Amino acid sequence: MPAAAAIKVMVVDDQTSMRAMIRRALQDLGFKDVRDKPSAQEALAAVKSDRVHLIISDYNMPEMDGLQFLEAVRTDAVIGKTVFIMLTGSSDKEIVQKAAALGVNNYVVKPFAPAALKEKIERVFGELT
Amino acid sequence: MRRLAIVQGEHAVVAEPGVVVSTLLGSCVAACLFDPVARVGGMNHFLLGEPGADQRVGASEMARYGVHAMELLINAMMQKGAVRGRLMAHLYGGANIVSGLGSIGSSNADFARRFMETEGIAVGHTDLGGTSARKIEFLPHEGRSRCVKVTDRVPERPPVPVHAPASGGDLELF
Repeated sequence: MPAAAAIKVMVVDDQTSMRAMIRRALQDLGFKDVRDKPSAQEALAAVKSDRVHLIISDYNMPEMDGLQFLEAVRTDAVIGKTVFIMLTGSSDKEIVQKAAALGVNNYVVKPFAPAALKEKIERVFGELT
Repeated sequence: MRRLAIVQGEHAVVAEPGVVVSTLLGSCVAACLFDPVARVGGMNHFLLGEPGADQRVGASEMARYGVHAMELLINAMMQKGAVRGRLMAHLYGGANIVSGLGSIGSSNADFARRFMETEGIAVGHTDLGGTSARKIEFLPHEGRSRCVKVTDRVPERPPVPVHAPASGGDLELF
């Protein structure tokens, strides 16, 4: 049963307001180490040089989208097992199925309440204390 | 000239000339976004709740739906070739005309201004606040808009999510 404070998180979304909102939600849940990046490329470089336990990434981003990012993480020998939760739109069922095939740990549909994010994280990590 | 009318909760994105997008606003806000290089533009029409006046809608919930409404519009524009860093905006609406809803229009207008500032989107024309309904016409391909005050009564639904899911998805994979 890990304490949220011990889990390092990387939040990836190309929209500044969305990153800020997710950061606030995570901080309210007790997470202390929350980093964020506006693109998958920047996030990939950052988590390779300083590993995190959990990546929360948007799907719909230009250049490298969430699925490409997930694949890049899963095929990396060092960070390949990092927990990955994808943020998707309501009509992205096909995306969720592709993400599942690539090894995503869970997904959250936007717009989501902090409670929904907490539930999805707890399904992977267990209860956050 | 092809005309496209949108109502509360909708957005429209256009990448060709000869199309005008219009809407009628009361307390709601319409953001007209355009990329002057890709010549892609779009308009949304959203109403957030007001914390206090409606206890079911908290401040964070308001922001959540507002940010989502803007994201839907921006993503649809990017799919047609717009680039986030080039976006410009015109903002309209946010009138306080519906009795019993307090200053809900001001809350909507404040959100829209704050969002553009946070995202670094330059704002061109704004006509926000006041007590009159507005009719907006936007030429997305040209990035030009027109706002006319009207005396019509604007039908408004109570604040609703742009898309319903709050529990985080109904596709059970995990």
